[in-house]
Amino acid sequence: MSIQSHILLMAVFAFFVAVVGGVLLKDTARQQARAGAETFGGLMAGAIILGWILYVFPL
Amino acid sequence: MAARSTAKRSTPAAPAKPLWLVYLLGWLVPGGGHLWLGRTTKGFVFLVALPAMFVIGLALEGRLFPFAPSEPLVALAAVADVASGLPYLIAHSLGYGAGRAVALTYDYGNAFLITAGLLNALVIVDAHDIALGRK
Repeated sequence: MSIQSHILLMAVFAFFVAVVGGVLLKDTARQQARAGAETFGGLMAGAIILGWILYVFPL
Repeated sequence: MAARSTAKRSTPAAPAKPLWLVYLLGWLVPGGGHLWLGRTTKGFVFLVALPAMFVIGLALEGRLFPFAPSEPLVALAAVADVASGLPYLIAHSLGYGAGRAVALTYDYGNAFLITAGLLNALVIVDAHDIALGRK
């Protein structure tokens, strides 16, 4: 596959996990959308924050 | 009062559909258990999202891990891969999923493949709860 951007691949991964997680955990469409958006945002924000921590404090 | 306490003590009704079939359908076809139980919207979302994750994982040159009891983490990854059901069986029988460890996207591919299987396992547990009338 030609996509080699780490952040784009991470976003695609987070998107699918968020969709499945949101639909799995909640019952109404509104709740599912909210849970999915929170999961997506949490995964992206967590990865970016962790990336910056590792940039400052490399292993 | 007496009626309420009797109802409380009574055992839950047996599921209308056999549980083993819910598990089998849910495993083979991601979302199949939900579709069979009448949760069509959820079922279609799983039916699209989970095989898509699996295919993306293969396209990213991820590996379908072999069962290697000597390497526990590899064996666990293999279990997660198998949990994808029919997509795994088709890919495995066609020889896909050899993986290319030097590929830039190899680890991403593995993450997609393993996560697709693990999410399908969660979907099967959800179908189990629906079949028992808990959801």
